[in-house]
Amino acid sequence: MKGAEFLVKALEHEGVEIIFGYPGGAIMPVYDALLDSKIRHILVRHEQAAALAADGYARAAGKVGVCMATSGPGATNLVTGIANAYMDSVPMVAITGQVATSLMGTDAFQEVDIFGITLPVVKHSFLAKTAAELPRIVHEAFRIARSGRPGPVLIDLPKDIANTVAEYEFHEDDTSEEIAEPSKESITRALTLMRDSRNPVVYAGGGIGMGNALDEFRAFIETTRIPVVATLKGLGALPTTHEFALGMMGMHGTKTANHAVQTCDLLICVGARFDDRATGRLNAFAPNAKVIHLDVDRAEVGKLRRADVPVIGNLRHALKALTWELGNIEPWRRECTASKETHAWDYAAPGAEVYAPGFLKSLSDRAGDDSIVACDVGQHQMWVAQHFHFNRPSQHLSSGGLGTMGFGLPAAIGAQLAFPHATVINVSGDGSIMMNLQELATLRRYDLPVKIVLFDNRALGMVRQWQELFHDKRYSEVDLSDNPDFCRVAESMGIPAFRVEDRADVSSAIDRLLAEPGPMLAHVLIHQEANVWPIVGPGRSNSEMLHQHEVAREVAR
Amino acid sequence: MNKFTLQLRVKQSEGALVRILGVTRRRRFDLLHLTADTSEDGHFLDVQMTVQADRAENTLVRQIEKLEDVSQVEVVEPDEAAAERRAARSTAR
Repeated sequence: MKGAEFLVKALEHEGVEIIFGYPGGAIMPVYDALLDSKIRHILVRHEQAAALAADGYARAAGKVGVCMATSGPGATNLVTGIANAYMDSVPMVAITGQVATSLMGTDAFQEVDIFGITLPVVKHSFLAKTAAELPRIVHEAFRIARSGRPGPVLIDLPKDIANTVAEYEFHEDDTSEEIAEPSKESITRALTLMRDSRNPVVYAGGGIGMGNALDEFRAFIETTRIPVVATLKGLGALPTTHEFALGMMGMHGTKTANHAVQTCDLLICVGARFDDRATGRLNAFAPNAKVIHLDVDRAEVGKLRRADVPVIGNLRHALKALTWELGNIEPWRRECTASKETHAWDYAAPGAEVYAPGFLKSLSDRAGDDSIVACDVGQHQMWVAQHFHFNRPSQHLSSGGLGTMGFGLPAAIGAQLAFPHATVINVSGDGSIMMNLQELATLRRYDLPVKIVLFDNRALGMVRQWQELFHDKRYSEVDLSDNPDFCRVAESMGIPAFRVEDRADVSSAIDRLLAEPGPMLAHVLIHQEANVWPIVGPGRSNSEMLHQHEVAREVAR
Repeated sequence: MNKFTLQLRVKQSEGALVRILGVTRRRRFDLLHLTADTSEDGHFLDVQMTVQADRAENTLVRQIEKLEDVSQVEVVEPDEAAAERRAARSTAR
């Protein structure tokens, strides 16, 4: 058997059903072997989309996503997707072809040191230097990608190794270690803080979903009855419509969530990492709170905010051990839920143009509980986080850590392949969609019924918003008024499309989109100056949220 | 400035030392001194490095511990023999 044939067999052995990739010179032996495999290969139109689709597949399905590319430019094109998976702790195995070992280090055609280039953005990486080590490498790559805090793993495979004929045997050594339980001492100390607290808040992060701890988390909340704020990736850990869910925290969080965190006396952080977009100015974040930090990765505990009680280890065990009734927090919880009503979203915006938050609220109401939303990055991404309802985190595919424009369409492709019958929606913007627009051809090729909602404000909206609010309206390189006709672009790639310009047409537009059996694009024009509200300005504390009416008043003065 | 010395043991593998130095740089620790030797059995690299930063030592230790091939990380007193060798070299100059 050739090394490449063994690689493909080993991928099958690891349970891989789909690979996203793009062929080329150095990876050709593997593509040859794929012809005789039951693994489905999805040919994207740019390697970046292969990595991002594998990421979306992994997030939606909870499996390891696999992407593949050739050496040189194929490999470098994967890098953004690998970094994206790294920042959001998504399990992925990326396989790159490499020039033959005899040519490595000679600046050979399409040679690039992808091992070196990706070092800062992988959980681990392998260079297969001999055929003999291939079985161990493949096995280890999958184990590392999915264990503990998940992440991407690179396998760089030189062409001569892929062509080496040898006896290969699967590496069966099952070394997948159980995640350690948290120490009894940390649980006791955490429970003491919880019992002493009058105003506790739970800060729910992406670790809950990725650690398969949804049931334990919900039991913990139902029993302790502590109000919950969520990070971008924590949305859906508790259904966002739940009475105790106060919404997203941070830069574009809800007033209620940020106020609760800023005034709480105990912050219980579950699988989150005190990211700057969530905390605002760090030294003013939750100023009165003691912190209990539950995480599988102890490097995150104390990295940015000291934890009074670190609870390191398996979240499921930790949450179970902390599930006790608390007697004294009813007044506080009532205060939080009352604030939620006071600050409820108002969808009655002036004007006849489409109001994106209202559009998304209606779309969410009608798309159903099993729908999956993949978004790109920018204003529309924040509107999705604010106005879509999520019953579980895996419904919401959003590039949180890296903030990768162009993530949405490939991620939707990955999710749709994981769940062929689910309603998968890509919410995008006129800036982001152009970053991986070529993947419309992939939608067509595989006839994937992804629905695209393209909000078009003829600008790089989030940057425009910052320039308006924080740079004295000095607009620099944000104008996109020469966008192509997106409907015609889509149609030319075989994707039916239609335009929505008036608010009165939103309802029928959503019906049309959701009723379409195949892929479809709705090109939704919105006001260029529509902003995401509220907002915490850069370098500001989360106590200093700017609201639309306040800014309007300031301008009037 | 917080200055400290780490004693590390890492499996001899592709990029092992580069990984450690990369994490050190990315986490904003400045490298002041480094020695690395292959262990007697040839399977490991024993690394001693002195670094400084405004950040707490644990923020680096915890990140290095996470590296797949690192089997041991300890904060130690700097190896006196190494310090003497350095002192001898600088006197010789």
